[in-house]
Amino acid sequence: MSVETEEQARPASRSEAVAALEKDWGERPSLRSWFSTVDHKRIGRRYMVTAGIFFILAGTDAMILRTQLARPNATVLSPEAYDQLFTMHGTAMIFLFSTPMFFGFGNFLVPLMIGARDMAFPRLNAFGYWVFAFAGTVMFSSQLVGRAPDGGWFGYVPLTDTPYSSGINLDVYSLGLLFLGVSTTAGAINFIVTVVKMRAPGMSLNRVPLFVWAIVGTSFMVIFALPALNVANAMLFLDRRFGAHFFDPAHGGNTLLWQHLFWIFGHPDVYIIVMPALGIVSAVLPAFCRRGVVAYPLMVLAIVTISIISFGVWVHHMFATGLPQLSYSFFSAASTLITIPSGIQIFAWLFTMLRGRIVVRTPFLFVVGFIVTFVLGGFTGVMFAITAFDQQVTDSYFVVAHFHYVLFGGAVFPMIAGIYYWLPKFTGKMYAEKLSRWAFWLVFIGFNTTFMPMHVSGLLGMPRRIYTYPGDLGWDLWNLISTIGAYVLAVGLLLVLIGVLQAIRRGRLAPDDPWGGDTLEWATTSPPRPYNFVTVPTVHSVHPMWDERTTAALATDPPLPDHQAMATSELDGREEGAIEMPEASLLPLVSALGILVVVLGLLWGWYWFAGAGALLIFGTVARWMWPPERTPEEAGVAS
Amino acid sequence: MPTQTRRAGGFLLWFAVLGGALAWALHLVLAWGVDELTCRSGNTSVGGIPIRGIVGAGVVVPALITLAALLLAWRGWRRATAARDDDDDPRMERTGMMLLIGMCANALFLSIIAAGGAAVLVLSPCQ
Amino acid sequence: MTAVTSPRLLSAEMPSGRTTGWWGMILFVTTEATVFAAMLGSYFYVRFQSGPQWPPPPLEDPKLMKVIIMTAVLLPSSVPVMWAERGIRKGQRWRLRAGLAITLVLGLSFLGLQAWEYSEDLKKHTLTTDAYSSLFYSITTLHGFHVAVGLLMVGWLLAASLRGSFGYRRHERVRLTAIYWHFVDVVWVAIFISLYLSPRL
Repeated sequence: MSVETEEQARPASRSEAVAALEKDWGERPSLRSWFSTVDHKRIGRRYMVTAGIFFILAGTDAMILRTQLARPNATVLSPEAYDQLFTMHGTAMIFLFSTPMFFGFGNFLVPLMIGARDMAFPRLNAFGYWVFAFAGTVMFSSQLVGRAPDGGWFGYVPLTDTPYSSGINLDVYSLGLLFLGVSTTAGAINFIVTVVKMRAPGMSLNRVPLFVWAIVGTSFMVIFALPALNVANAMLFLDRRFGAHFFDPAHGGNTLLWQHLFWIFGHPDVYIIVMPALGIVSAVLPAFCRRGVVAYPLMVLAIVTISIISFGVWVHHMFATGLPQLSYSFFSAASTLITIPSGIQIFAWLFTMLRGRIVVRTPFLFVVGFIVTFVLGGFTGVMFAITAFDQQVTDSYFVVAHFHYVLFGGAVFPMIAGIYYWLPKFTGKMYAEKLSRWAFWLVFIGFNTTFMPMHVSGLLGMPRRIYTYPGDLGWDLWNLISTIGAYVLAVGLLLVLIGVLQAIRRGRLAPDDPWGGDTLEWATTSPPRPYNFVTVPTVHSVHPMWDERTTAALATDPPLPDHQAMATSELDGREEGAIEMPEASLLPLVSALGILVVVLGLLWGWYWFAGAGALLIFGTVARWMWPPERTPEEAGVAS
Repeated sequence: MPTQTRRAGGFLLWFAVLGGALAWALHLVLAWGVDELTCRSGNTSVGGIPIRGIVGAGVVVPALITLAALLLAWRGWRRATAARDDDDDPRMERTGMMLLIGMCANALFLSIIAAGGAAVLVLSPCQ
Repeated sequence: MTAVTSPRLLSAEMPSGRTTGWWGMILFVTTEATVFAAMLGSYFYVRFQSGPQWPPPPLEDPKLMKVIIMTAVLLPSSVPVMWAERGIRKGQRWRLRAGLAITLVLGLSFLGLQAWEYSEDLKKHTLTTDAYSSLFYSITTLHGFHVAVGLLMVGWLLAASLRGSFGYRRHERVRLTAIYWHFVDVVWVAIFISLYLSPRL
């Protein structure tokens, strides 16, 4: 761009600049723009709403399961239906709810927190959302027709392989997860590139908000862990549909191969689920302790080392499979010492509370609830690193209790804290404090009443995944308490939902920065305009909103004009120049539909249909990437 | 700064930060991989070298690499902290934090390698 | 020690100045490489847990002749891509077009040779013969699929370059396609060593 055109583009005053930005970035509400939007905030909200719907569906599955288990010899469910329900409950909670929900948080918040105008690849972002929505719809639809996956969420072979599992159920599992994997991988790449290249000037690595660090750590784990799951599922599909023998010992295959591949993915996945939640805790605490989280470098250390060590502990899920003792010990060492970085985070939060001036609001309560339950879950987790104990309780309700403490306590409590905390930014409305307190106490009490007794029933020998049990084993009381707790928990979660809906409909209008938060999302309006920031912020510390240099510059620095965002250098966040951002487009939706056609074609065995889908994908992507025609001067041609 | 020096500096920094992690990955692949695969196939030595020797090397060599990264990170961190100006200096602060993280991470990986490796002294490889 | 820990040296910013597209492609290739690593890891896992003979009898070691020719065709195909990329950086469109065309021909001959090799292999064993065959065919087909995708990218780039979209100012897509093509090449080396050479060791 020549100097002359730049001069013309620069408006005379700030209000004119804002008007020009509104025109460049604004989307007129229409059906087309609903399908074609690439705004990270709209996509982020959609991720959260869709994941929330999947949470309600998978939670309903769990309520039916608990109803069946309330009393011995109950007949609410047939064994087959029970298998489908517990499998879909686990699979959906892990894959269709937790990670997409946190990707929704990340989508909405990461660009705001780093002072960017959008994600690095806005269209890829939209594509990722559509793929996720379609994959989830396919998987839940299978439940409607009674053909849902029924092999447990980790789908161990040979049970899930032919001839032990006929029907389409496990094909839905393997293809559905492969389909979803496209979305998760695309999202992870997008997060990393956004954070690496688009942080506000001055935001060197030592000034990146902890939530952003957590999302980046998570994304790196996705990049390296998800391929193992995808390979395993592709092999399973080939075994089942086309008669391959990857997992078939009769033809030289190996059943443990599935377990290795699955847990190489599966253990990092525990952290993929929990780490963004820990990031939310680190983001929520400063506002309610009126100080930053202590030991920032150690918190970053914890995120980085957990992301790495989580890949070296997978064998501890297989301590009961008869590998050599010595090879256990390498994994035992990693499994035990990975508690150090987790412990660092817990102690840093406790010290933050100790050294801060605490303001008790609902998000803070949920953070405290998180710390209590997560520490309990971590405590039973340490016990599993002892091989001898692990072999006693493997596949018992003790394990069920443990991972619900880790996953519900570790992911859902912070998630709800995050929902209340950022609701003003997401929707522009405030929630009602009183109702949310009721919700907290019901969720907290209900959760512990549900899962604490499972430790006992597990130690009493109750195996997981049994559809019913006889009445004379001493398990009745504990199961009844669990079921009552589950209903209390459900009421508490319903109150959270009601609180959010009520806030959207009738809530008080939220100010831009209701909590006095420390990160840059509070520098925008509530909810933010499509271009997020008029002026690109400059960052001088890890708490930019508590830093006068940043807030002063936000009001006085010249606006960044046009449909542009700022690129900065990878480590130090030096300004490198502006990049043109892509416009809204229907191509992401069409290419996601193409993948849907391929998946359905494979699922039903209509391979011509799958082929048509592949053509559709190719055509759309070719159109998507087609470069604009340029004059030789524009492109730069040697004479 | 000439490109070559810049590259060397960048490489050293990343070695100081991630050296321990890479060494630990090497340790797992070598020690666990050799142990499990050889024992499964019913052997106790590979090419005439007993498993315990290979597994032991798979502990000691990565431990030494981690130690080197740890020392580099420690020295670099102290000097980077000393070199930091009082005013807004993102570059040196950033270098200091990366090295501090590297130092702690290397110490953690060193203890993981040592804790797992100690078992080589106690357990016989294919038990 | 004093020289290597100098703060000035250690604070050099590396990497820096890369584009978002470059990072996106690098991460994509990384996750793809992990897919192949998981496949080859599975191959060796199954191999070391099966009997002393590999491939399991009655199958013989894979024939090398055609595969060596395939390697000799695919590996050098990275050179014209590099040459084309260097050319367009100087604004020489003819080099871009010629380089891409050569790569296209080499890649297509690779796929042709692979089809020929398959036609002979399939007489001996298929995907459903045993676990070895399942791994053999799935790994090589997955790679062939990546070559095909790479060729679509190269062909698409060639079409765009004939229309005239690239020059020394604008050539990022050339660079990204080149990264992908080099990746497909390097993966082939790993597959060649694992699937064809290692059974003979």
